[in-house]
Amino acid sequence: MSIEVRLEECPFDPGAELNALLGEAAGDGAVVSFVGTVRSRSKEGHPLDALILEEHPLLTRQSLEEIATAAARRFDVSHVRVVHRCGELHPGEPIVFAGAASPHRRAAFEAADYLMDRLKTEAVLWKREQSGAGSHWIEPTGADYRERERWG
Amino acid sequence: MKVIFYGKLADMIGRKLEVPAKIPCTVGALRSRIAEMHPGAGQSLTDRRVRACVLGALVPDDHPLGLNDEVEFLAPVSGG
Repeated sequence: MSIEVRLEECPFDPGAELNALLGEAAGDGAVVSFVGTVRSRSKEGHPLDALILEEHPLLTRQSLEEIATAAARRFDVSHVRVVHRCGELHPGEPIVFAGAASPHRRAAFEAADYLMDRLKTEAVLWKREQSGAGSHWIEPTGADYRERERWG
Repeated sequence: MKVIFYGKLADMIGRKLEVPAKIPCTVGALRSRIAEMHPGAGQSLTDRRVRACVLGALVPDDHPLGLNDEVEFLAPVSGG
């Protein structure tokens, strides 16, 4: 079992993260990964200039580690990998990589799904969209909270 | 008492605030005191999703505070 968690201030390569996970999981049988990227338009439909992810000096890393550890305990997985950006991001850049490896595909799918539902609602980060129309804070939607609640 | 805000609360109130407080005081009382000082941020501050943090640990509203405590209020979080 291995758990890799990183908070990155600079752009990261999701392909390299997947390759690293595939390398760790060689022979395990199943690898599932999710990559979230910055949208090109704001929620109001304006072309997005930047997405700002503000972090807490202590709690952000702690929250990422707690979520990854909980996924590793809950599902029959051999490896969990979470990489999350902070700072200023631009359209198209990866925000998050969440991956899991397992001897069974269902456990890997569920672990990745669980990781994302919890990251969306519980990762200690504050997200702000900047566009020509100004600056807007983005909070989880009702659907995000409901999807988180599926896991109890 | 020194208070630090994160997320949209920092936009509304400022990153740091010195709040005159009397002991005994709880996180909930401090929250109400700041809401009185900054009525525009009152609704956001009393949102149940806004959590308080003291010495790196999340604490409930009935957590007792000392005069030298530094309290952080965290606006609703969102990753991914």
